[in-house]
Amino acid sequence: MTYYLVVFAAGFAGSFHCIGMCGGFACGLGRDPRGRAATALRHLLYNSGRLTTYCFLGALAGALGQVICTSHGTTFALLGGSVDAIERVLASVAGLLMIAMALQFFGLLHAFHPLTVSFGSSTFAKSLRSLLTTRNRAAPLAFGVVNGFLPCPLVYAFAAEAASTFQALPGLLTMAAFGLGTFPAMLMTGGVGRLLAPALRQRGVWVAGSCILLLGIITLGRGVLPFSAHMAHGLLGGHPA
Amino acid sequence: MTTSGGALCRHCLLPVGPRALQQTINGENCAFCCYGCSIAFQVKSGKTEEWEAAWLLIRLGIGGFLSMNIMLFSLLIYGGVFTGADARVLPVIDILLLILATPAVIILGGPFLRETLVEGARGRLTSSALIVLGVGAAYSYSVVAVFEKNAQVYFDTATMVLMLFTLGRYLEAAGRARAARDLEPLLAAERENVRVVREDGTESLCPVRQVQTGTLVRVRPGERIAVDGVIVEGASHTDEAVITGESRPVEKSLGSAVIAGSVNMEGPLLIRSSGSGTATRWAQICRSVRDALIRRSPIHRLADQVVAVAVPGVLALGALTVIYWAQWLPLDRAMLMGVAVLVVACPCAVGLAAPLATSLCIGRLARHGCLVRDAGTLESLARMRLLAFDKTGTLTLGKARLVGIETDDAATSEALAMAAGLERHSEHSLGQAVVKAAAEQSIKAALARDVRTIPGRGITGQIGGAAAAAGSLALMRDLNFTIAPALAECGRRAEANGYSVIYVGWAAQTRALISLDDTPIAGARFTIDALRARGIRAIVLTGDLAPAAHRVAAALGIEDVRAGLAPEAKRIALGRYNRSRHKVAMVGDGLNDGPGLAEADVGIAVGTATDLARETAAVVLPVGGLWLLPWIIDCARAAGTTVRANLLWAFGYNLVALTLALFGLLQPIIAAAVMAGSSILVVLNSLRLERLPDPTSWQRAEDQRAGAENISRDARFSVALGAAIEQG
Repeated sequence: MTYYLVVFAAGFAGSFHCIGMCGGFACGLGRDPRGRAATALRHLLYNSGRLTTYCFLGALAGALGQVICTSHGTTFALLGGSVDAIERVLASVAGLLMIAMALQFFGLLHAFHPLTVSFGSSTFAKSLRSLLTTRNRAAPLAFGVVNGFLPCPLVYAFAAEAASTFQALPGLLTMAAFGLGTFPAMLMTGGVGRLLAPALRQRGVWVAGSCILLLGIITLGRGVLPFSAHMAHGLLGGHPA
Repeated sequence: MTTSGGALCRHCLLPVGPRALQQTINGENCAFCCYGCSIAFQVKSGKTEEWEAAWLLIRLGIGGFLSMNIMLFSLLIYGGVFTGADARVLPVIDILLLILATPAVIILGGPFLRETLVEGARGRLTSSALIVLGVGAAYSYSVVAVFEKNAQVYFDTATMVLMLFTLGRYLEAAGRARAARDLEPLLAAERENVRVVREDGTESLCPVRQVQTGTLVRVRPGERIAVDGVIVEGASHTDEAVITGESRPVEKSLGSAVIAGSVNMEGPLLIRSSGSGTATRWAQICRSVRDALIRRSPIHRLADQVVAVAVPGVLALGALTVIYWAQWLPLDRAMLMGVAVLVVACPCAVGLAAPLATSLCIGRLARHGCLVRDAGTLESLARMRLLAFDKTGTLTLGKARLVGIETDDAATSEALAMAAGLERHSEHSLGQAVVKAAAEQSIKAALARDVRTIPGRGITGQIGGAAAAAGSLALMRDLNFTIAPALAECGRRAEANGYSVIYVGWAAQTRALISLDDTPIAGARFTIDALRARGIRAIVLTGDLAPAAHRVAAALGIEDVRAGLAPEAKRIALGRYNRSRHKVAMVGDGLNDGPGLAEADVGIAVGTATDLARETAAVVLPVGGLWLLPWIIDCARAAGTTVRANLLWAFGYNLVALTLALFGLLQPIIAAAVMAGSSILVVLNSLRLERLPDPTSWQRAEDQRAGAENISRDARFSVALGAAIEQG
């Protein structure tokens, strides 16, 4: 459980980064003229859309990890207690990816920047623009779904973490915890977005980076250190597989 | 040409083909070549107050939401989460999946089903039918399974296949629109709206084809001028690069003529149209480019035929797969394999392989002023190994230039001064060449009085009190000027060799003869060399005298020359080459090249060509654009390579994936992802054509050779045109 709390905390801290990037979209959704409840529903729909995409990506990543492992004829590491070589490799890759993302958050690495301004993002951004101001009740949901696919280092990092769980459910739960972590800030963004001082936001980004770095080091440790899988999961409570 | 066969897709500018998708968007009737283009167009052009575009996206977003939820649960089921004690919740989850999947299938599958039904009513099977059938099978089986409560459900397959195909088509269309960027300003002429000012001062938008002579049109700064006409109010600069190749802004004020297709740069203008909106040169270019896009090349036709027979074949193959595997496996597994076969064999990428690369290439060429009349021409150009040139007006300027002065006893400079003094008053092109040569050599023309032109003979006058004359030998005889035998012999030889000769005499004696010749155009030598480097043999076919032809050919490094050919003889000479297996092209400019241009596999007209030559030719170069030839060949060859690579890729990919699917090694969802990926890869491979170097680099290389001092006009032209297209 501790593990998911860490992910949740990372998501919460990371959502200060979200306010900078996706917060603009959330602000754009704005208030519904039909009243306070309608406004709340709008934002809830938007965030559910986003959460669905994250969960989907998480389950997909987890399942992908599982497929890679099982296709090599090994038992599940977490159930059988044995750590297979291929799993170690995957965990190391995921861990390194997360550490790279964390370094990017600290402004120490710029390698992943081109990923965020790719062909896909412009296509998605175009779709988002026309969805943003539509007065249809279902639009925020669609908007959130598309928004979830926008290239984002945070999402990449946690998708990598989800893949390193080697199962669909823990993968899903990892991304769900992360997505839920981003809920509070994103829900409030419409109102408080402008009140948050840039300095505070910067601090949030640092906390997020630290969380990702921590998770990345643990994931890398699972791949590199002998018998570390048990230690790491013991430390964080393990995956409830 | 029928409207459905001759239309271009509103979004990607590829021909819509027989399976056009007609839609009314914002009150305008639009044709699309596929579902993806219809989505992409609405996303791109949709404004927030227009609800169709947003509604489409909402539907897709909700479809995505539903199918992702279905996929989530399915992944958990496959991951073995609901085993053991949790297995009793499975029926509940199945019902939940049914509830989620039904709207998703309706939302996402609707357009595919509609296309299948519309085409089915016309007796045609399209690739949509494969998707509809595959998804339909997976969905209906799963619905039955939910109520049977004992079997596996495949709602994830049904919805994810639809989602992936929709996404794939959208991304593909977005990429195709990028390929059409070059064509946009050229094709805009047909759907441009103009702001017409009525007599009572009111303004209204109306299509350019409704513009008549005398219509008043207002053009705001930054807008494209859609009509030929005269400015009646306002002043501005215009950018005419798309039409004339002039890269510098042209100053326009009250009374100036403006041409359609140019861009009004800074001031608002009121223009009185001088002709109907469909008669402009811009509209002509537009029609020509559109026709080129619509005509299918042989390889494209082949691909289309393959696609036409592929769909029924794949249906049969899918049925056989199910029947075969059903003997050994449970029905649901066999059905899944059949679905995978249907989905993976969808020949979307094959149909896209040829037209995309071709239209990209045609657009690229058109942007540099080279009009290609049909797609097959590009294929012929790529395989062309022999290029026949006309001489006068194609390889040469068609203008005389002084090449030598022979004198009896007088100084050369004196003879030139005398001749220039007389010829200053002449309008004959040979005379102009003499005056120009004198000016170039800084020789001051002698002062002549009582100048008289004698038609067909030359010109006479008084210089320094004595009679002087410049002209033919007959003129010298008329004036009883004596001529030294050596000089006369020299003149005879020069004339026999094809030079134009002007005799110059004064003080009762013929003292000099000036020989003039046609000059090769700048860059012709470079062009021939560049063509040779590409393995293309250049020959000259000319109606001119052999010596003159040989002289030009030698200067340009061409060895094979046929001189003194009548137009018909040119055609026959070309026909002889045609029999070998490589393609033959002919470059010409005049009336006498018409038969040759028609006989060659590819007729190429230079920019200064007569209307007849331009009509006959399959490729029209811009004015002064002979140097573009090697670049055009490069483009055509690159396009050919790309088309072949695309086809190889698309077919190969389909075959490998199909084999895997037949043996049951491919999940339908993976198959759908593979198929969407293959179309996108074909698009990306074709977009590589964008990276071909611009022809400016040729010009630059030539400039370096010639040590030219400033950037050439053509280089500026293409740069400005590029800029104009970016803005437009």
